[in-house]
Amino acid sequence: MILLIVWPWLVEQEGIHCRVIGMAFFYGCLALAWNLFSLSGAISLGHAAFFGLGAYGSALFCHYASLSPYLTILLGGLLGALYGILWHVTFRKLRGAPFALATLASVEIPKVVIDNWEGFTFGSLGVVGIPELPSLSLGSVLLNFGKDPAALYYLLLMVLLFMTLVHRYAMTSRWGWAIRAVREDEIAAAALGINVNKTRFQVLCSSAFFTGICGGLYGHLIGLIEPGLVFSLHISAVPLVLSMFGGRLQWYGPILGAFTLYPVDQLLFRSLLPVGHSALYGLIVILTLIFFPQGMGAWLQKHLCPASN
Amino acid sequence: MVSFPSRCLIRMIIQFLVDAISLGSFYALIAIGFSLILGVAHAFNLAHGEMILLSGYLAYFLNRQFSLPLIVSIPISMFSMLFVALCLERLLRRIPDPHELNTLVITFGLVLLLQNLMLMAFSADYRIIRPETRLLDIPVHGLFLTETQIVILTLSLATTGIVYLLLKKTFLGKALRATMQDKETARLAGVNVRNMHLIAFGLGGILIGVAGPLYARMAYLHPYGGMEATLVAVILTIFAGVGRIRGLLLGGWILGLVESATTLLVGSGWRELASAVILILLLLLRPDGLMPKWAKSTQ
Repeated sequence: MILLIVWPWLVEQEGIHCRVIGMAFFYGCLALAWNLFSLSGAISLGHAAFFGLGAYGSALFCHYASLSPYLTILLGGLLGALYGILWHVTFRKLRGAPFALATLASVEIPKVVIDNWEGFTFGSLGVVGIPELPSLSLGSVLLNFGKDPAALYYLLLMVLLFMTLVHRYAMTSRWGWAIRAVREDEIAAAALGINVNKTRFQVLCSSAFFTGICGGLYGHLIGLIEPGLVFSLHISAVPLVLSMFGGRLQWYGPILGAFTLYPVDQLLFRSLLPVGHSALYGLIVILTLIFFPQGMGAWLQKHLCPASN
Repeated sequence: MVSFPSRCLIRMIIQFLVDAISLGSFYALIAIGFSLILGVAHAFNLAHGEMILLSGYLAYFLNRQFSLPLIVSIPISMFSMLFVALCLERLLRRIPDPHELNTLVITFGLVLLLQNLMLMAFSADYRIIRPETRLLDIPVHGLFLTETQIVILTLSLATTGIVYLLLKKTFLGKALRATMQDKETARLAGVNVRNMHLIAFGLGGILIGVAGPLYARMAYLHPYGGMEATLVAVILTIFAGVGRIRGLLLGGWILGLVESATTLLVGSGWRELASAVILILLLLLRPDGLMPKWAKSTQ
């Protein structure tokens, strides 16, 4: 933890490492947001829908209404949550594999609509020139997120810390136990007096909201979004792979996945294979499910501190 | 002179129907392999479309390098896909419960892996096996059929028919259907269920090997295009139920008609939307469509 705070001073300020670790924070947030929903027992293959809606919502609000990016990112998150409500209403009866298939298909709907609604969303050309996050002045320190990688690093670290707290809350609080009960056995949970429908709704909406926020943030970080980019299979897959690899049932699992896999992908694989380096994620999820079905987190816990089991 | 516009319209409608049905028969061909694997081995193969693309690329390069015609490249791709499918069976054999969901996640990983490998190997260029642009004029109705369409229509229908006969008329087909309906009872009746899994994957692989070269002939190959074919297979399987060949063919024709109509009426950009909406509607209306008796009995 302390290492993460002082890290930018240890290595060079402008370095690629700082940027990669910052983006690892970002993907950690995305994985935590995804895992929030998977805690209720459902596997989503379509979180790119929330991500893309968040990115487009934020970028278009910024473009048409000229609001501050901080506000529009929240609006993007709300747009994601709105689609989450839609999921909840339409897919209420589906569980397991049919649910996963429905989520996979539901990414296509906003994607095709945005792709074809050229007058409003600029179609497949995408939105370019999304403004950077404006600078904030904290006391005497000016945080220029657009220009200064270190400032961005701390911003993403703060977001990650916040997401970790939310994720931890969704595992250890009373609400978290309700989620766990729903995951293990819905009928038994209902018999204990848990409102299963409401719990699933809360989890899905918060997961969609935070994924939308990640999407909005992404647009302002990268400066350009297009339907094929933000609604891609890759965006749906990465949080799933990171969470599965790190361990879905540990509060730190998705972060562990993001901190190990993302730097390996960017620093090692990207230089070896410029095209198609994401094959790593596919390989990892296959190997994880065969050899460590509970993820690395559970495996490490079992082997490093056997006493706690 | 009065009858001219209406005859023209009728001709257009017939042409539209023929196009849609040749597309729909191809869809049925895509779906049969998926549905067999799901029905017999209870494995969701999300990488179905990617495997079709892979065999399409194989046929494309055989065609480019050695200028092999389709009739030679289809058996080659059939054998290689048979091999790939048997490897997949080994991979999926011992994964932990819940089986269906985990096969879904594993093959989702396989989708990512194959997409990126194909991107590496074949680049993101669009490729197609250049058809000879010969139009066959059927004099009676004044219809136009391209040679590609005829090849696709005959091969799809022939393969569908063979699989149908195999399932309905042979002893092996009986054993396969028994495994689909109830694994435990089939085992009690002396069916070797493990072998049936292997045979289902093998058959699925062979069907992928037929579909791939046809795909490369009909549409542009792109490393990211596989998901669309998988969605088609899923849609038809939910519509018809696993292992129901006639239902798959009917569903394929309906889907072909709907997609062609969407393309005709509102433009090709919305075609993907049509199939996604159909899939979601089917899942909502028939939530048990993917889960035949075995799933209900275990609950």
